[in-house]
Amino acid sequence: MAIKFERVSFQYRGVDDKGYLALADINLSIAAQGEFITLIGETGSGKSTLAQHMNALLAPTEGRVHIFGVKLTSDKKKNRKQRLNPIRQRVGLVFQFPEYQLFEETVLKDIIFGPKNFGVPHEEALERAKKMIQIVGLDESYLERSPFNLSGGEKKRVSIAGILAMEPEILILDEPTSGLDPMGRNALLKVFYDIHEKLGKTVMIITHDMDTVYEYAKRVLVLREGALVYDGEPPGLFSRKHVEDWNLELPEILRIQRALEERFGIRLEKNPTSRKELIEALGEVVM
Amino acid sequence: MNRIVIGRYIPGNSFLYRMDPRTKLIAMILLMVGVFLIQSFLHMFVALALVTLILVFGRLSVKRVYLGLRPLVFLLMFTFLFQVLFNRQGELLYSLALHYTILNLSLAFMVVLLWGFTKRFIRFRLLYFLGAVVGIFALLHSISFGVVLGEGTFAVYEQGLSTAFFIMVRLIIIITLSTILTITTKPTDLNLGLESILRPLRVLRINAEEIAMIIAISLRYIPTLLEEANKIMLAQASRGVDFQEGKLKDKVIQVVSLLVPMFIISFQRSDDLANAMEARSFVPGQERTRLHILRWSKLDTVALACTSLALAGVVLLRVVGW
Ligand SMILES: Nc1ncnc2c1ncn2[C@@H]1O[C@H](COP(=O)(O)OP(=O)(O)O)[C@@H](O)[C@H]1O
Ligand SMILES: [Mg+2]
Repeated sequence: MAIKFERVSFQYRGVDDKGYLALADINLSIAAQGEFITLIGETGSGKSTLAQHMNALLAPTEGRVHIFGVKLTSDKKKNRKQRLNPIRQRVGLVFQFPEYQLFEETVLKDIIFGPKNFGVPHEEALERAKKMIQIVGLDESYLERSPFNLSGGEKKRVSIAGILAMEPEILILDEPTSGLDPMGRNALLKVFYDIHEKLGKTVMIITHDMDTVYEYAKRVLVLREGALVYDGEPPGLFSRKHVEDWNLELPEILRIQRALEERFGIRLEKNPTSRKELIEALGEVVM
Repeated sequence: MNRIVIGRYIPGNSFLYRMDPRTKLIAMILLMVGVFLIQSFLHMFVALALVTLILVFGRLSVKRVYLGLRPLVFLLMFTFLFQVLFNRQGELLYSLALHYTILNLSLAFMVVLLWGFTKRFIRFRLLYFLGAVVGIFALLHSISFGVVLGEGTFAVYEQGLSTAFFIMVRLIIIITLSTILTITTKPTDLNLGLESILRPLRVLRINAEEIAMIIAISLRYIPTLLEEANKIMLAQASRGVDFQEGKLKDKVIQVVSLLVPMFIISFQRSDDLANAMEARSFVPGQERTRLHILRWSKLDTVALACTSLALAGVVLLRVVGW
């Protein structure tokens, strides 16, 4: 297991000494390869906090986190003695708000900033930047632009390209598709899915979009008030009980499928997870 | 970062919270003036004790307020050392001959390097720093063979020591008083109080309302900016910036990677804030009605009387010359 959480709790400390329990008793493991995970939960449920534990930006206040053989505990001194920087190359984390990281004069410089920090030679970093800017759906002319004059969606793409260029083994994206138009969103999701499919890497996406969860994910994690309440396959998540208890929105495909059942009594043989599969399954019924 | 309490309001309930912001502001100014007039050690300690009493009776955690001063410890230490080293008035209390030779200067340099490398593993950094300073002086004093480049003396004079003490305690008291003010006063109340105190300045064509608004907004945004800084540091650490280590060149990039987003975010925020204020028809200088109206209570009269008495007492002591 590349990442392993053992009874992890995390408390943000505020000025009033009370602290805020953002993660409560989390057990979880994530493989170094071949996983496609979505992490969902209401705003403030601790998703970003959990993600920041996965590349050693935060250390638990209780319990242990193992990341590629490095153990993090509440013992700050011991944590500091280990080399944490390499972990951040191996587990790439794209932050929720790109404004927090863009600072160079050009998009190009910003994208190669990460790789160069991890010792990638200049030439190769440039190569990667050219490749990644296209992968995230922008063309090469963007490389010379200032990151501050871009739209929100473009900034987001640039920040994603910056992490992709570090070529992490595990890729974690904190709400990468929020604020994007549906077309752009689907294209980006396809990119992440390709990274998972073709390179066999583990990818984790934090999202509020149930369609993403249902269509792409092989595994879904649900956080509620800091506790991990579900860790399993997406179809199991959308059972009636969970949907009611956790106020989940149903994915589009599932809504259609259930409407077909209730209104027309059409039962599909297989459970389709994408539009294409739905249409095929419907076709079989109709024919 | 979150431990910094300067400029932050923390909800609570005590007489400090019930006082009118105008009272608190005026009382603070009176006490500060008083602290500057004090000239004897004994009175200084009494003042420090009184401020601590205010904290205790105001049900504020003494520990928390003083922990909040921690970021300023280096500033305080620096003023202290500066005074002790360079103020050469009054009686000579202690002197130490220093010899600058190649050997001991390079040894001293090595102590500095050693300190720089090992300090992160040490728990009590301040003590460790003091230890290093003492060590360097000991080195410079005791080793005198080899090529002597120069001679000097480390001397502590009475006046230097006492000035250093007074400056430090004054700073501590002033910072504590202003921390008490911001902890117990909501930014909006502080704004109102400032405004009504500054109102007489209108005669000089100074717009009190604007000044009050500027001060209040700055205070309000200190914690927010600290939070933003924290987030930016995490985001950059994610891209391999190691804020704990690095050579000088790396340090420059680290700071730039923190400051540029800080500036951008601050400008964005101020833009948003300006828009939000305008959307609610805020026009600078325009007469406005109030939702909250400040009310003077008996408590305020008592508090103001007490602080005025304290100030009068200090002035009297000074005049009598105790
Ligand atoms: N730096 C911080 N200091 C104190 N509390 C925080 C901090 N960051 C987040 N929190 C709190 O922790 C909780 C979880 O935050 P977060 O992980 O960002 O949630 P999510 O990403 O699911 O919206 C929230 O209630 C938030 O207010
Ligand atoms: Mg979040």
